[in-house]
Amino acid sequence: MTAAVPVLEGRNLTKYFWVKQGSGLFARKAPVHAVDNVSVSLEARKVTAFVGESGAGKTTVARILAEIIKPDKGTVLLDGKPVPPGRPRSYARQVQMVFQDPFASLNPVHRVRHNLERPLQIHHLAGRRSDAVVDALLARVALKPPAQFADRFPHELSGGQRQRVAIARALAVRPRVLIADEPVSMLDVSIRLGVLNLIADLRTEENLAVLYITHDIASARYLADTIVVMYAGQLVEVAPSTELTDSPAHPYTQLLLSAAPDPDRTQPPHLKDRGAPASLLAPPSGCRFHPRCPHAMDVCKRKAPPNITVGADHIAACWLHVDPAERQASENGTPATDQVVSDSQKR
Amino acid sequence: MTIDSTTITQTTAPLRRARVLRLPRSPKVIAGLVILGVFTVVALIGRFFEPYSPNQTDTQNWVQHVLVPGTGEGTGFPANYYPLPLPPSAAHLLGTTVFAQDVWSQLLASTQATMFVGLIAAVIATVLSIIFGVTAGYIGGTTDEGLSLIANVSLAIPGLPLLIVLADYVPSAGSSLIIVAAIIAVTTWAYTARTLRAQTLSLRNRDFIEASRVSGEGRLRIIGVEILPNLIPIVAASFLFTTLSGIYAYVAISFLGLAGSPTGSPAGLWNWGEMLREGFANNAVRGGWWWWWAPPGICVALLGTGLALVNFGIDEFINPRLRTSGLSAKAARKAGAHVSTTLGLTPVTRKAADGAASTTASTPDAVLEIRGLSVDYGFGDEAVHAVSDCNLVLRRGRVLGLAGESGSGKTTLALAAIRLLRAPAVITKGQVLFHSKPFTGDGPRATIDLVAAGPHQMREVRWSEIAVVLQSSLNALNPVITIGAQFEDMLRVHRPQLDRDERHARAVELVEMVGMNGDRLRSYPHELSGGMRQRSMIAMALALEPQVMILDEPTTALDVVTQREILEELMGLRDRLGFAALFITHDLSLLVELADDIAVMYGGRLMERAPANALFRSPRLPYTHGLLHCFPPMHGKRVPMEGIPGSPPDLRDLPSGCAFHPRCKWALDRCKQEVPVLAPIPGPNREVACWLHRDGASVPPELSLPDPAETIRDRLTQVNLQ
Repeated sequence: MTAAVPVLEGRNLTKYFWVKQGSGLFARKAPVHAVDNVSVSLEARKVTAFVGESGAGKTTVARILAEIIKPDKGTVLLDGKPVPPGRPRSYARQVQMVFQDPFASLNPVHRVRHNLERPLQIHHLAGRRSDAVVDALLARVALKPPAQFADRFPHELSGGQRQRVAIARALAVRPRVLIADEPVSMLDVSIRLGVLNLIADLRTEENLAVLYITHDIASARYLADTIVVMYAGQLVEVAPSTELTDSPAHPYTQLLLSAAPDPDRTQPPHLKDRGAPASLLAPPSGCRFHPRCPHAMDVCKRKAPPNITVGADHIAACWLHVDPAERQASENGTPATDQVVSDSQKR
Repeated sequence: MTIDSTTITQTTAPLRRARVLRLPRSPKVIAGLVILGVFTVVALIGRFFEPYSPNQTDTQNWVQHVLVPGTGEGTGFPANYYPLPLPPSAAHLLGTTVFAQDVWSQLLASTQATMFVGLIAAVIATVLSIIFGVTAGYIGGTTDEGLSLIANVSLAIPGLPLLIVLADYVPSAGSSLIIVAAIIAVTTWAYTARTLRAQTLSLRNRDFIEASRVSGEGRLRIIGVEILPNLIPIVAASFLFTTLSGIYAYVAISFLGLAGSPTGSPAGLWNWGEMLREGFANNAVRGGWWWWWAPPGICVALLGTGLALVNFGIDEFINPRLRTSGLSAKAARKAGAHVSTTLGLTPVTRKAADGAASTTASTPDAVLEIRGLSVDYGFGDEAVHAVSDCNLVLRRGRVLGLAGESGSGKTTLALAAIRLLRAPAVITKGQVLFHSKPFTGDGPRATIDLVAAGPHQMREVRWSEIAVVLQSSLNALNPVITIGAQFEDMLRVHRPQLDRDERHARAVELVEMVGMNGDRLRSYPHELSGGMRQRSMIAMALALEPQVMILDEPTTALDVVTQREILEELMGLRDRLGFAALFITHDLSLLVELADDIAVMYGGRLMERAPANALFRSPRLPYTHGLLHCFPPMHGKRVPMEGIPGSPPDLRDLPSGCAFHPRCKWALDRCKQEVPVLAPIPGPNREVACWLHRDGASVPPELSLPDPAETIRDRLTQVNLQ
């Protein structure tokens, strides 16, 4: 990665949610390990994608970075400086977010104009020219002619148009970071690419650092420069997007890829009995993926894997990529077959 | 890279008004508003038209003097008279009281006081409840706990006794509208506060609130500008309700004599309760002086009715389902459509049901044939044509994929075919032939037209021969009994010949078939993950060995890995059990791997049908071509992709001609006027509805790629064998 200071950085973010277990007198609170020790950095003009199943903690990381919720541990840094607590307005000016459901993220009682003007008013950006700015914003997200859209209510717009309005609202304050939480998953297939292309264009034209959260690894490959794979609240693999999909190093990434629809597949996938995602209330010991992993070794059950650099800018948290001798040194487990290691190294 | 601009379909359409302002205009609401209007006018200006002061008495002229029997001349006692009130006359519109007062004047004064007390009580209560409810709901935490505690305590104290105590302890209460109203408000605000708190709690975590928080909006503005307008219908409904209960409370305490007498000191106010009290205390009922006690009683009842009627309107606004129920039958009559409706079955217009046509199978292995099926939502001019003239053949043991975007009519088509849609959906045309040949059991062995079938026949076919798994099915399990008990119930009804152990064995067999452990039968639905619940639904659908499975986005709500596992299991079961499947999804890339044949829907019509691999390798329809290029590939170099410009059409306002023409880069002039119909084209079993393939039009090279030699399944099996 380049040596430039990332625009937005999360270091060792950890977030537990507390849920009540049992009932009556015996009720006790147990932590849900939503996000465990996740570090992420977003650079200008780059799209970073977070990929994983539901419950992997993708959205929680996004909400921590948007300062909607506070992490239990870890820090968020903007331009290398820790963000003061209490969601200051100056932070809102720099970091904006687009939500998954365009039908829920626009207030049904307000016109499009209100949605775009408020951020300008809050940050004292528009003054009396706000009409012109609103028109320019609508044109920016390809809602043309802008005059036709500004005075509509959200329910008068289609899903794609709503999501464009939501993106325009996020852009209104000219932020430097855009966090997009599943921005296209609620949209019709035929209009998804339009919204993804819009985000891609904005990244270059507005110098945005984009965090793109998705469960669709193919769209992450299409849009993102870097893909981060999360499993059960932890990072399992980080790599440049094509490298990640072409030669995944972590067994979970491999599982995700084989599950994704792929009409060009030459071989039917075999995924039977791979179990369900790990419980976040009682996460498995060691590597959280080990109960579902076909290559699980003894060490995987006992000790969390270190982050291993397996290629240029390519990191995987998996014991398979640790030298067997080293693995033994760090833990006196008996390693299973090394077949897979050489397999993935071959690729 | 360029950005396609989304076009507006109706550029000239006038802006619709905000939903907040649109109350349903039913006769009920209008009657309510008229009643409220009359009372408001009377309350506002009635006092200017009082013929007399309500306290004025004229004991000489305004009562009838009746000699007490046994007094007067010839009895030795001095003449003694008792007063009798006068019945209504021109001078006294509503007669007089026994105290020689004018009832009409009292009623006018009472209406004002009663309405104003009710209104002010409601205003105070609503303001209190908004402050408490919304603040508690939005801020949460200890603030919420504290405020909720206060609200709950006020709720726990019985209202009327508190009111009586308060009214009794504030001696000047009766003489002041504000004090009486405040006392009443204190006893009624907590109900609304609780409702508003609950609503705010659910709004607080909605995305649009979070979005304005992210944009740096302050707390007060979020509450006032973002949350409160969304609560207006609820606030309005509870405002009316509080007005009504305020009026009732005021009438009640006055009737009990706690609001001070208008002639006492300090003087109370004339109100309906006071009028009733005086009347009842002075034998108005026994004396038959109805003009004295009936008017205030009728006023209380009428105003209550008016407020309740307007509240109905607000309820319907909050909950639109109330509005549509019962509406469809009326709409059908209005449109002159004869509809046969049976509870639990999609209604069918008489015309469609009568259309007796051939019932012979078009191919020998057809199991479900949809012929010329059209489905509307609503009737007459307001009808939305959700499905138009669709023909589809599902063959035994095959998977037919039905692909389309939201609003393309794919789900409507499938659910209408087995008559699962409720009114206002109505089948206007067509046949759905089910050629039944059950594998086991005692299902019918014949051809049934499901459009013409009665409830009995439908019951025989549904579930046991044609089973359905919906996207939301995983929420259809009964949450209070175990999965095993639900299997047990179903098997007991449909397979009465099995005994208890056999039923259990069958249930275990079924859940193991879909990859679940037999132990899971002991679990309650909430103890299972979404994937497991959908698996149990599939097992349940398979329990009676149906010939057809209709799968409507069965895995869309699930994670990719779970989705893949379930689909794999389903396909394995299909091979083993031999059912035919109609698989509905928006995910064309998934269908290509899964289905034998694929049909593509757009704007309520079937647009292309072909074997899966042929459709994927060499689409003939511009829409299919575009759709296939909406899925970024998993391999190769990354190239910018375009998607399809514009957005899917609104069924209420379909473009003329081919519904796809505004988004089609190859559209001909003809496409704008004439609707293309599905017709065969050269190639293995292919049909397309596109003018580009008719009458020697030149087909663009993208749409004339050669047909692939093999099917997807051939390819996959070959790889497997190697």
